[in-house]
Amino acid sequence: MRNDHSEYPYKMQGKPDFSYLTVNIPAGQTLKVEAGSMATMDTNIRMKTKMRGGFSRFLTGESLFINEFSAENGPGEIGIAPGSPGDMDHVYLENDIIYLQSAAFVAATMGVNVESKWQGLMKGFFSGESLFLARCSGVGDLWFNTYGAMMEIEVDGDYVVDTGHIVAFTEGLEYRVGKVGGYKSLFFSGEGLVCKFSGKGRLWLQTRQLGAFANWVYPFRPVKSQGGSDD
Amino acid sequence: MHIDLIFQPGNSAARVALGPNESITAEGGAMIAMSGDMAIETSTKKRGGGGGILAGLKRMLSGESFFLNHFTAGSNGGELFLATTLPGDMMQLDLQGETIIVQSGSFVACSDGIDIDLGWQGFKSLLSGESVFWLKISGHGKVVLSSFGAIYPQEVNGEYIVDSGHIVSFDETLQFKITKPGKSWLNAFLGGEGLVCKFEGQGTVWCQSHNPSSFGWEVGSLLKPRA
Amino acid sequence: MNVEMKGAPSFAHLHVLLEPGESIVAEADAMASMSANLDMMTRFNGGFFSGLCKRFLGGESLFVNEFVNNSSEQCKLTLVQATPGNMLEVDLNGETLCLQPGAYICSTPGIKLGLKWAGFASFIGREGLFKLTVSGEGKVWYGAYGELLEKEVDGEFIVDTAHLVSYEPQLKLKVQLAGGIFSSFFGGEGLVTRVQGTGKIVIQTRSLSGLANWLNPRII
Repeated sequence: MRNDHSEYPYKMQGKPDFSYLTVNIPAGQTLKVEAGSMATMDTNIRMKTKMRGGFSRFLTGESLFINEFSAENGPGEIGIAPGSPGDMDHVYLENDIIYLQSAAFVAATMGVNVESKWQGLMKGFFSGESLFLARCSGVGDLWFNTYGAMMEIEVDGDYVVDTGHIVAFTEGLEYRVGKVGGYKSLFFSGEGLVCKFSGKGRLWLQTRQLGAFANWVYPFRPVKSQGGSDD
Repeated sequence: MHIDLIFQPGNSAARVALGPNESITAEGGAMIAMSGDMAIETSTKKRGGGGGILAGLKRMLSGESFFLNHFTAGSNGGELFLATTLPGDMMQLDLQGETIIVQSGSFVACSDGIDIDLGWQGFKSLLSGESVFWLKISGHGKVVLSSFGAIYPQEVNGEYIVDSGHIVSFDETLQFKITKPGKSWLNAFLGGEGLVCKFEGQGTVWCQSHNPSSFGWEVGSLLKPRA
Repeated sequence: MNVEMKGAPSFAHLHVLLEPGESIVAEADAMASMSANLDMMTRFNGGFFSGLCKRFLGGESLFVNEFVNNSSEQCKLTLVQATPGNMLEVDLNGETLCLQPGAYICSTPGIKLGLKWAGFASFIGREGLFKLTVSGEGKVWYGAYGELLEKEVDGEFIVDTAHLVSYEPQLKLKVQLAGGIFSSFFGGEGLVTRVQGTGKIVIQTRSLSGLANWLNPRII
């Protein structure tokens, strides 16, 4: 795994709070991009979707939806904006394996294999979100984003992390999800479940988590109207 | 204890280095990561009324309950990273006996020797339209506060008007009045400013550049309805 | 008048110093704090009828506030937008600039705010039927959720409508599908704007609809 080489030319702007990725796709080549995150593109770029039947994860069992953009008759530029605010990082995989929280996937070149039905770690108590991990392997570029600022930790020993803050980690790290301090702590401490990592490897964390924001924004959401459907 | 504020001002977090068996109190839900041997104990400060687990959870959803976690390091000391719900800045204050009034959403952590009181009734949250309550914080020790947006101090020497959604904390010695900003009530409501807080006297108001409610309504209106 | 932008690029906000007699016009709800001696006057945004149109169809509030310093001392005022993000200051010398609804923050008194029919295409793109135009002599401040990036368009360029903040009036906008019919809707990209001509556009690197789309599938 390297940081100093990339298959396609790219630039990241707006770091660290509203990071934006621009990739120059070489003529005839294709880029995998998280669905719904294309912000700008040259007119010679063609989009193809691999999704069947829409976004519903219950239909497909997927937690990660990817479209493919190809540059025809010349190179093409595409600008990608993730939905959540935060930082972004790039790694060049050389047959390494990275486990990535599926909401963090931004884009990848075709040689990177993204298995998105990997596993669900836990269910958030209020957010209803399970933490899904995607397994990325192969050779090529991988871009991922964080919600909030990004912290890269070299783990050597034991490290406890609130699960909502996990972005990615390398193979070689063992992890165990559990509660902290008994059931009273689980509900009232607001920490939800924690993940204890052990071993040696690299861990990417994000400083914010979706569950806390979901709770905060709850009173601002529209209220479901009672009775009668279409007036 | 040593507190470093990192990733300022856009997505601030606090890195706390604790000495052996030292402890820090933080708002529930703020922990990002910590050393493997850290102990956590939870206590709640309720804004009036018991009601058991379900009532507690409901209050948590409406922002009215206040859960605190006490983190105590093991015998080798420990490290703890604390986060915030909203993006923005953080600041560290060293209180030497004074009292400050703090917006509840801005409280991150404090050391032993700091007292937190939920009983402050100065602002009726109904008037400001925020689902926010206020903490009276006093004592000797460190306090870490966060803001939505950038933090800037506004020295008050006489009078100054601050939209209530922009207040992080202020010296208890300041007087204040909930008032209208323009020359008539019509202006107040149609102009969008609603009611504001007019501070009088001498002291500091710590302001945040952005108003959480304004952002909350912008995002909330695009989300699916809640049950 | 002295206007200083602080907190950029993530939480841009304006610290304004008004000398006696000076005034500044700002979007309703933009005031964060101000000297107690400043007068705030609410006025309809460019006439009753167009103001109404703006409110219901363009997304801007019906009213703007004019902050006037009728005292004999310098007064301070801080102005901000509802979302985090960056702001841009533009000097207009008679030119016109087109803004996405909601992007306008404040302007000096010589700037005129107007409504321009943006066409049904714009309505389908969820941006409302009108675009806000700013013209005249003076300065305008506008902003959006996210970082702001400038792009020189020469020919054609495709922009997701939720990410387009401002554009020079000589550019033509057309709405089209992001891909084929199946790809566009099932691929989650929907409709996009094709910008044609030569001129400058400003895009935002996040959008409120993008934030909502990230949150909605993950909340109960």
